[in-house]
Formats: sequence, structure tokens, C-alpha cells
Amino acid sequence: MERTLVDFIKVLRTAEVKVSPAETLDAMAALEVVGYEDRGLFKDSLSMLLSKNPEEKETFEICFEKFFTFDDVMKADAAGGDEIDDATSDAFDDEGDHGNTPGQPGGKGSGQGSGQGNGEDDSESAEDLEEGAEALEPSSPLGQLLVNGSRTDLMVAMAEAGRAVEVNQIVVFTQKGLYTRKIMDAMGLKALSEEITDLQGEGGIGEQRLAGKLKRARDQLRDQVRDYVEKQFFLHADEHGKQLREELLKKVKLSNLEKRNFKDVQEIVFKMAKKLVSIHSKRRKTFKKGQLDIRKTLRHNMQYDGVFFDLKWKSSKVDRPKVMCICDCSGSVSNYSRFLLMFLYSLAEVIPKVRSFAFSSDLGEVTRLFQNSNLEDAMAKTMRDYGNGSTDYGQMLMDFKRNCMDDVDNKTTIIILGDARNNYGDSKSEILREIYEKSKRVIWLNPEPRSNWTVGDAEMKKYGPNCHQTEVCNSLTHLERVVSNLLKYAA
Amino acid sequence: MTIERDEQLASIDTIQSGLADLNYISNHQIATAVFLAYHLDKPVLIEGPPGVGKTELAKSVANMLALNCIRLQCYEGLDESKAIYEWKYGKQLLYTQVLKETLGEILEGAKGLTESVAKLHEFGDVFFSEDFLEPRPLLKALKEEAGCVLLIDEIDKSDHEFESLLLEMLSDYQLSIPEIGTIKANPDRKPLVFLTSNNTREISDALKRRCLHLYIPFPDADLESQIVKARVPEVPEELRRQLVTFIQALRELDLKKVPAISETIDWAKTLILLHTESLDSELVKQTLNVILKFQEDIEAVTGEVQMLTNKATKAP
Repeated sequence: MERTLVDFIKVLRTAEVKVSPAETLDAMAALEVVGYEDRGLFKDSLSMLLSKNPEEKETFEICFEKFFTFDDVMKADAAGGDEIDDATSDAFDDEGDHGNTPGQPGGKGSGQGSGQGNGEDDSESAEDLEEGAEALEPSSPLGQLLVNGSRTDLMVAMAEAGRAVEVNQIVVFTQKGLYTRKIMDAMGLKALSEEITDLQGEGGIGEQRLAGKLKRARDQLRDQVRDYVEKQFFLHADEHGKQLREELLKKVKLSNLEKRNFKDVQEIVFKMAKKLVSIHSKRRKTFKKGQLDIRKTLRHNMQYDGVFFDLKWKSSKVDRPKVMCICDCSGSVSNYSRFLLMFLYSLAEVIPKVRSFAFSSDLGEVTRLFQNSNLEDAMAKTMRDYGNGSTDYGQMLMDFKRNCMDDVDNKTTIIILGDARNNYGDSKSEILREIYEKSKRVIWLNPEPRSNWTVGDAEMKKYGPNCHQTEVCNSLTHLERVVSNLLKYAA
Repeated sequence: MTIERDEQLASIDTIQSGLADLNYISNHQIATAVFLAYHLDKPVLIEGPPGVGKTELAKSVANMLALNCIRLQCYEGLDESKAIYEWKYGKQLLYTQVLKETLGEILEGAKGLTESVAKLHEFGDVFFSEDFLEPRPLLKALKEEAGCVLLIDEIDKSDHEFESLLLEMLSDYQLSIPEIGTIKANPDRKPLVFLTSNNTREISDALKRRCLHLYIPFPDADLESQIVKARVPEVPEELRRQLVTFIQALRELDLKKVPAISETIDWAKTLILLHTESLDSELVKQTLNVILKFQEDIEAVTGEVQMLTNKATKAP
């Protein structure tokens, strides 16, 4: 069981529930107290020990249900197994029970139940023949298991074979067939097949009948194994595949993303944002010399008989960064703007003061829009209101100067996202200079590769020197780096 | 005592019924958490929306086991001198003044500085002994010989530093005081620790790792009805069903603050005071301020009251 628990924890980890070794040990200790008998109790206990926030609890729920259903079937079987509504398993019982010589306990109940189900004539004729050739028993181990073993034994054998061929390493769905075959082989398929061929070759009615039975059992076994592999695939590979896809999406150029990926990307952005929040939400305190904390000093210096030689200063909290974000919304860059804004607004917890502006020629503030409606709507409205028209960076800078210059102070970070393609208009880079001198940092994010920055109507040559930092930014990884830097500098 | 406590915590069902006797209606998960907390000696971190009975659980468990409940309310700026211990500076000063003469006597006959200091050393650190120590909740909890329930309330309101301060306490049930040494809890009766959090910020992984994590969501209609029955037994059956249905429907709406169990109970009490037999929309409108705490919410709901009341009063 411990082995099973470790496997389960592995599944949880692939599903992005963080489980530490210490927690694994705790879970083992808990199992000693609660036991495995009561499934509800078992699940509640594990859930409390292994998943530590509501999202993780949800994932845990799903994983638990998927992972432990197998055991449930086994339990039901052990408890008497007279009612399993699964069609294939019913049929399977049928086989197993007829293999048992009459008089064995349990055979009666399920024999009746399955008689109605699968094939009545079949079982009857089998019974007729049974008297004649009772002595025949299969010789291969798998055959014996199929004919004489209980379902539980078979399941255990299957799980063991699965472990032996490392079915939990399955990555893509095309491997399903391969693993099914591998498990069957590990269970001794070869010997069984040989036996069947031999039996068929011998020609006696008893042998023929046994061969037929074994053949049917083998086919059913194959179905079951396939089923098992499928489940394993969902447990192990589905998440794994997702991780692969996420890695890919992080690196791909944002402008190449298709609409159907947006949902995935949004999820990733939230995940990245969450990571950044947890890194940066720790409020740093610095000790600013200047303001004496009288109470603390008095208390602390009492041990020196009231002589103040260890002064305590009032601590002050570092301000969170004040960010103004100016996004180019013209066709070529809009996708980047979209994700930058998504990123910034997902970080509301650590950077509460984001003001955002959108432009293609005229600048407009969209802060309120993003605060009040969800991202999709806000994005769509922004695109509708500001997305058309040819880009004019000069106009944008003039608008910014007129409307927002007063709000820029030495704590403000300004992020401009755009390709700086000004359609040969006046660049007005002197305004950017002004902003540069007044603000804390000006960061220019350009989705184009650096080599294109001076080609054609691009004005990066003029704007670049008036920025504290210029960055190529065309994938989620880039975005993450920029935002992370932003938070670091703010501290 | 220990035996008795063992019995009270012997199984999930006994815990559930024990809590129910104290009018705390728990579900299976909650009882499991208490059970595991006791048998594994682990603290429980309780999360959930405000007003679902997180604090109440700790208090009820203390009540059930007839133990002291020591409560530490967290807030920003809480530090060790408020949570663990503080020296009684006043007393220390007073004693040194009073004992000045005695000190003189002690030092009598000592020649030179070295000898005096050596003599003083014989008396050890009198002024830094436990007599001069003011125990704060955490230390108090460790010193309870009979064990106790320690409730660390709203841990999310405290600073990050404070969380780290708790780690030693939570994993080993001990605290280190430099001047005195390590103080350990009675190994047979470790305090039962409950931490509550409203999830205003993420609790650090280190802390979470040491705790059992219990999430208490809003109860379903059935459980809520039982809770109202236990807390406000005067409410007639029909009214209870109606008000629970109403509240459950209200939670579906998009509100700034959804009503919690405590609000349901308050409302039930209000309706009893008003001698209500059955909900009607006029009455609901008048008493909305009991369940909704924001003017915005009240305004938003007022329009829906008619519909919600109709739904609630309709026979099941």
C-alpha cells in the first residue's frame, strides 16, 4: 500500500500539487491511524495532508477519484462481487466462474446474474460439455490465472506487470498500443498463445473447448489491459503533455499565437503572475535613518540602565511600484499589448497602482476599463476604441505630456510597448527625454528583433537613448522577465 | 484526564456527536481534522470565507475537552514580545532599586572588582529568571500542564516574519528563550493548535507543510438547516427551510460580501424577534441589512427580493 501511496503522490505532483517528502511521511503516519477501510475517511485525511489550498484540493479530488477507482472495483469484487454493472467485467466474471468447478462459493450468485447478460446458450452448452471434459486444466501460468484466479488476482497481476514495464512513463497517446502489448507480454501472453495453438492442434473436444475459453479470456484481458493503460495515460501523461505544451507556448512568439491558444496562455499568464506575486509579495522593510522610534529605543535600552546607545529607527515600508503602461494597439503589436496588460493586471496584488493607456494615434486611458470588466471584454473594447488608425508615436507622446505629465514622479515606472514604427512622422523624442528625466525608469519593450530596430520607419534609434532600458519582448518568457525585473527594481 | 480525552477523540463519530452536543454542527471533514490533529500531534490550519465557524471550531473543541482555550489574535506588527514572552522591565527595575542595600551586604568584604563580580556571579541571573518573565499566549500554551487548545486567529493578518517565528512552536512544540533555554510542552499533553486564515494573503509553504489543511466552505442547505436548528431552536421548521433556501440562493448572486452562517443565524434570531411565521418580500427588504453588510449589495438585491422570496416560500 505504501508503494501505491507513493505512486499516488507522484500523480499529484504531475498534476501540480506540491507535495514535499515530509508531507509524504505525514501521510503514511496518518494512514497508520485511520487505516484504509473507510474510503471517505482515507480521502479526507489525505486531502488534508497533501493539498494545501482550494485549487490543490480540487486537483486532489480529481486525481483521487481517478487513481483509486481501481481499488474500488477490487474491493467490490472481494466483498462478494455479485453486482458489478460494468458490462465487460460481468462477462469476465462469467468466464471465471465457469472455470471454477461447481460447488465453489460465490459461483452460484454471479453465475445467475451473468446468465441473463452475455450469452445464455453459450453458457448452457458449456455446461453440457463440462461433464465430459472436466479434467482439463490450462498449463501456462497466465491461463491458470485466467481460468482459476479471481478478478482481484488478475488485477493485481496486471498492476504488477504495469509497474514492471513502467507504464507510468507513458507520454503520448500513440504509445497506448505499445504499452498494452508490453503489459500482456509481461503477464505471460506468449506462453498462453502457445498453449492455445497447441490445444487447437490436438483436436480433442476437451482441448478445443479449453482453447476457445482461453482465447475468449485472452481477448477480454486485452480489452481490460487497454482500459488500464488508458487510465494510466490520463493519470500520468495528460498532465505531462500539458506541461510540454505550456513550455512551448511560453517560448512561442506571441504574434503567432492563435485564438484557440488564448485560453491556455491566459492560464499560463495567471500561473506566472502568481509565482511572481509569491516571490515579491514579501514586504521588505528598510530602516530609514531619520525617524527615531522612541518607544522601541526606550524599551531596548532599559537593559543598559536607560543610556541610549542602541538607537532604534522607525521602519518604513518600501512603496510598491507605480506603473504606467502605454501600449500600442495597432494591428501588428496588439497581441503583445494584450498579454502585457494581462500580465500587469494579474499582478494587482503586488502592483496595485497600474495605469494603462492605449493608442494607435491618439492616447486614451483604459485603466478603468480593465478594473471594471474582465480581461476579454476590456481587451475587445480597447481594440475597438483605439485599435484603428495608423500609429503616430509623436502624437501619443504629446497627448501623454498634456494629460499625464503631472502624475509622473520619481517613483513612477513607465513601460512603453510598441514597435516604434512611426510612419515617418515626427518622433518627438524630446518629450520622451522629458519623461525620462522626471520618472524613475522608462522601459521600452519592442517585439521586433533588435536588428530591425533601425530599419525602415522604425525610430528606436531616437527613442532608445531616452530610455533606461530597451528590451526585445516577444514571448511569455520575455514578458515574465521584464515584469520580474520591474518588481525587483521597485524594492 | 488523558484517558477521558482519548475517549472523546476516539473516532470521527464521537467527535462529531461531541461537537454537536455543544451546538457545533460539523461535517465529516471537520471531525476528521480534529481526529488527525490529536492523533498525529499536528496543528490544523483552517481556511475559508469569513463567518463559517473557523474560530468557533477551536472554541468548541476546547469546550468539548474541557481545556483552556488560549487565543492569540494576529495583527500587522505582532512580534515576539506580544506573542511569546517579554521581560517584566518594571519589576526588574523595581527589584534592583529595592535590593540595592542587600546587594551592598552581599558584596561586603569583597576586595576589588574581580572578587565582587565573582560574588555576584554566585547568584546567577536572578533578574533573568522565569519570575521576571511575562508569558504571552504561545509560551502560556506550552506551560499548561494539562494541555490546552491554542487558537492563533487570522494568521494571514500578521507579518511574514511572524510566520517563521511560529515554525519552531508548531513542529516541535517548544520555544527557545536565549536567557533561559528551551521550554517544551508536556510531551503527553501537547497543546492542540488551530490556526485560522481568511486567505487575504498566501500563507508560506513552510508553515503549510507543518499543518493539516482544512478548508471549510459555505455549508450546503442541509447542513446549514441543521446549524440553524442547533443555534436557534425556536425557529419553526417551515421558516427555517425558507430562510436557508433564501440564503443559499443569495450566495449564488454576485455580491461584495456573501452572507455567511453567522449572518444566517443572526437573521433567524431577528425573524424570531419579529414573530415571523413565513417570509414575505416586504419583511425581507426591511431586514436585509442583517444579512448584507454593504449598501451596494443591499441595493443590488432589493430588486431580486420578490423573486427570491417566491422561490424560497414555494413548497419543496
